[in-house]
Amino acid sequence: MPRPNPATYGTSVTKPADFDDFWANVEAQAARMPLNATLTPVPMRSTPAVEVFEVHYDSLDGVRIAGWYCLPRQRRQPLPAIVVYPGYISEPTLPKNLAAQGYAAFGAAPRGKLRSNGQFNPGYPGLLIHNILDSNTYGYRGFYVDAWRVIDFLSEQPEVNVNRIGVTGGSQGGALTLLAAAMRPQIAAAAAAAPYLAGMMDAAQLTHTTPYAEIVEYLRLYPEREPQVRETLAYFDCINFAGRIRCPIIVNIGLQDDVCPPETGYAVFEAIGSRDKKLYAYDGYGHDANAYAHGAVIDAFFREHLQNA
Amino acid sequence: MTAPSDRPADFDTYWNAVQAELAKLPVNAELTHLPLQSNQHATVYAARFTGIGPYRLFAWFSVPVGEGPFATVYQLPNYGSVVHVPAYEVRQRYVVLALRHRGQRLSDQPYAAAYPGLLTDGIEDPAGYIYRGIVADCLRGMDFLLSRPEVDAQRIALAGNDLALITAALRPQASALHCAPGLLYNASALAPRTSAYPLEELNDYTRTYPVQTAQMARTLSYFNPLHFANRVRSDTLLVTGSAQDFFSPAILEPLAAGLGGPVTRYESAHSSYRDGVQQAEWLSTHFGYSTPILPAQWQV
Repeated sequence: MPRPNPATYGTSVTKPADFDDFWANVEAQAARMPLNATLTPVPMRSTPAVEVFEVHYDSLDGVRIAGWYCLPRQRRQPLPAIVVYPGYISEPTLPKNLAAQGYAAFGAAPRGKLRSNGQFNPGYPGLLIHNILDSNTYGYRGFYVDAWRVIDFLSEQPEVNVNRIGVTGGSQGGALTLLAAAMRPQIAAAAAAAPYLAGMMDAAQLTHTTPYAEIVEYLRLYPEREPQVRETLAYFDCINFAGRIRCPIIVNIGLQDDVCPPETGYAVFEAIGSRDKKLYAYDGYGHDANAYAHGAVIDAFFREHLQNA
Repeated sequence: MTAPSDRPADFDTYWNAVQAELAKLPVNAELTHLPLQSNQHATVYAARFTGIGPYRLFAWFSVPVGEGPFATVYQLPNYGSVVHVPAYEVRQRYVVLALRHRGQRLSDQPYAAAYPGLLTDGIEDPAGYIYRGIVADCLRGMDFLLSRPEVDAQRIALAGNDLALITAALRPQASALHCAPGLLYNASALAPRTSAYPLEELNDYTRTYPVQTAQMARTLSYFNPLHFANRVRSDTLLVTGSAQDFFSPAILEPLAAGLGGPVTRYESAHSSYRDGVQQAEWLSTHFGYSTPILPAQWQV
């Protein structure tokens, strides 16, 4: 039987009535905690063209977060900046290539990633269902804050043009791209690939592939907990954040994506609040979302919005 | 970009010693049932067994429901700290072992790998290079499989990068090899031509320790898949990039030509869907099944 058109699938995600209050409270908690950022040069990873620093900063619940920060040695200040968010299992990017193109480039490592896992380490698999019955302690609560506090860090750096900050990433990195764009309105441009953490309960119906398999497996063992799981995830679903996004944004998805089903990609794109938004839906591609060719589209998009604007 | 002359004179001696060291250690496997990952199609275990050091290793071990022994897929680890639980569809048909080598999560006590950093850890000395132990871990995974009654020892396929090829060479019991090289193949010669990790780690290393460049190249020569190729007898599918890619067909042709068994060359479609279907179909055909089991999104 042919698959139904993923573009018309829709979503079962609903927005909790206190969604905005929930996140305002989280933000207020985080705001009481200064970043206390430190930058440590990493000569071994630096090159004649690019300086590399290891960054640490404080985040929600007092968790110390790491990241890679790369700067072009020859720079016209202030610099446009790009944050690269990591996938679920991938290691944080060390974005020397972006620094070589003239950006202040940050490779984020939210809690649980290597170098940010001393105080929080649910593991892989594990993160997606960590404390999934309680929105106030769910693993992604602090993880999300870690991701968008990168923007706060960049905003403190004298070499960064705070009006030209871009965000990008694929899969979980695509989700964090959407979330940062929603929660930090100073972001000037966003490019999200194959976004994860969108339409999560729908995805668990559509695929058996990890990471969503973690939800499938959890509910197979504990089917009676489905309402609570759905309730928690509603606070964390990108679809419920997407209406806040106002910056220019591009999203690419693969129509044969078995990891983040295209139905969910369409749904979150539909919810994005930006007027300037464009979807690239690639037939014949899976979770890679045609990254091989689409990279050039992203490069041109950031050149237009961060360098030539 | 071949490096035939860099095969160390004591290459065989080196690897015979590694294998002898491994053979002295019993596998001492321990299986723990994982209800969360198990389902109506397959039972999943946390497998723990011992590698050289001695070092306790972790792997996902999945066994289809039903009467075995089963055709088996051994998934060798890629470069990164996490190895996923084997895919739902693969688990339905095959016994699957997915190893987390020393340094990767759940095999990270007492040694936790750094990324970047793993590729050059101990690279000054072939005897102390971390990949000596990692290769031995991969061999130990095969030893574990061969000890299991659920495994059809005549039908074991290896899948992965350079580590899969090296394992096929040193554990000839594997009947099939699906290999996408890109880590250790001619690494010291190729690294200066890229700034992409993980090979960039080698450039970071030589920039920082230029006097160690020759020693680094010497150590890597013990791990070059090119020098293992003629020992591979299994039915092999070798995945390459496109002509314009770093690991192009031309770059990898010496490896393909050097393989000791039948080889099929496959140029990546740069699509996880199309490449995934290709791999599933190739394995299915090798094991005599008429069709692969595919995710719903891949079914047309």
